Amino acid sequence: MAERCAVVGVGQTHHKAKREDVSIAGLVREAAKMALADADLTWTDIDAVVIGKAPDMFEGNMMPELYLAPALGAVGKPMFRVHTAGSVGGSTALVAAHLISSGIHRRVLTVAYEKQSDSDAMWALSVPQPFAAPLLAGAGGYFAPHIRAYMRRSGAPEYIGRMVAVKDRLNALRNPYAHLHLADIDMKMVEDSMMLWDPLRYLEACPSSDGAAAMVLSSEDAVSGHYPPAWVHGTAMRSEPTMFAGRDQVNPRAGRDCSADVYGQAGITNPREQIDVAEVYVPFSWYEPMWLENLGFCDLGDGWKLTEAGATAFDGDIPWNTSGGVLSSNPIGASGMLRFLEVAMQVRGQAGEHQIDGAKVALGQAYGGGSQFFSMWVVGSEKP
Amino acid sequence: MPESEALHASHRLEYPYSRSVGPVIGAFLTGLREGRLLGVRGAGGSVIVPPTEYDPTTGGDTGEMVEVGPGGVVESWAWVSHPLPKHPLPSPFAWALIRLDGADTALLHAVDSGGPDQLASGDRVTVRFRPAAERIGAMADIESFVPQGGAPR
Repeated sequence: MAERCAVVGVGQTHHKAKREDVSIAGLVREAAKMALADADLTWTDIDAVVIGKAPDMFEGNMMPELYLAPALGAVGKPMFRVHTAGSVGGSTALVAAHLISSGIHRRVLTVAYEKQSDSDAMWALSVPQPFAAPLLAGAGGYFAPHIRAYMRRSGAPEYIGRMVAVKDRLNALRNPYAHLHLADIDMKMVEDSMMLWDPLRYLEACPSSDGAAAMVLSSEDAVSGHYPPAWVHGTAMRSEPTMFAGRDQVNPRAGRDCSADVYGQAGITNPREQIDVAEVYVPFSWYEPMWLENLGFCDLGDGWKLTEAGATAFDGDIPWNTSGGVLSSNPIGASGMLRFLEVAMQVRGQAGEHQIDGAKVALGQAYGGGSQFFSMWVVGSEKP
Repeated sequence: MPESEALHASHRLEYPYSRSVGPVIGAFLTGLREGRLLGVRGAGGSVIVPPTEYDPTTGGDTGEMVEVGPGGVVESWAWVSHPLPKHPLPSPFAWALIRLDGADTALLHAVDSGGPDQLASGDRVTVRFRPAAERIGAMADIESFVPQGGAPR
């Protein structure tokens, strides 16, 4: 039987377009120190460090973990780097959780970051290769046709995407760490923004952010911190190739299998009933209805109806992305961890203005690459 | 099967990057531009040059910036008989670990001693900066180190 694992400390930077006042080392340390303070621990209490970020090409800094050990108090300790594209922040937390649940370590610091201002990350995603059709599109251009396919399949009206864009930015107004604080956000503002990749408008896309996230995970006998622990009830990761004949890009099998696995571990048979709050990787507005279906919160084709009915709004029955989500802050490597971190904050009751009262069970999800890497965890206020 | 020629294509990959270096490395690079050598006070009071943001042994915060040099001692060195275009000097030189006066760690840089028989570990050297107008806040603002006093052995 695996050891119980708990989140006992969380930390994050204020996510911004440019953090020119700090180096990458300074950025990750800021989040890590906050997580340690929240856990009421110091560097010496930590047994191992697990760090994640998106492709090295984003900052042109190859294997940055090699020089970040002192910044993260990892000198003389095990340190692991994780990389699974945009889902990396989630899978990094999973590796850290497994070091606890396997009984190997008692306290693990896990950190993820991106410093997008050091580079032009969008183009680093679509490297032209000899003898291959150039993508030259960035992430939005890659996902837009899948969104069109979803709209055609489900018959969803055009305004659903705009509703998600508004809803997540309204949530961000509650979160002091969110990058975007658009006080006047409304459907008209989204509709008036520039068309980037049909059907995605500028305000239906995530920003480029500098930022870091950190958590301290602990075994049951080492629980500490200023808030009650968030207990890990299930962890799962699934992968599939970017392209293969017959692949369902709209509703990827890896995502469905991943959620089935994590729900099985957490004893969830009806996600909409049993999950109080979810943080799901929605970098482009339409991925909310798409993931509602992929994650089994409704039947196929019905995801947009939940969004339209306000079910995922802050006062809905299944609030999604109470932090403001990826649509409001996107330090890519950290974005997955921020989803996992937000749900830990919710079940610990430390989310302040974006706290959902009485949240007991919560789902964090991250996806990456061409919707091909999925990582998820379910956390709860009660021991599993 | 008939032999066919393998496909070839040139592929040049370039991205622009920038760096936010933070307060410690930033102060060091700014010092170079001003013609000054700066280290940082580490845990336990030692002076680390080039400075690090965090103590490399304890991971603790480093402290105040400390001016070091301009002279120092060669701890060890290796002679470069045939410099390549990207090397700091066009004529033969030594790569040397130099412990600057006031520092507890050594800095790697070039020493322009004239010949391998004119350099020994333990020798004193001093910094030779590029002219102020050419300095940009980078390690190459130091053209090289030279034997102290400039006299050959």
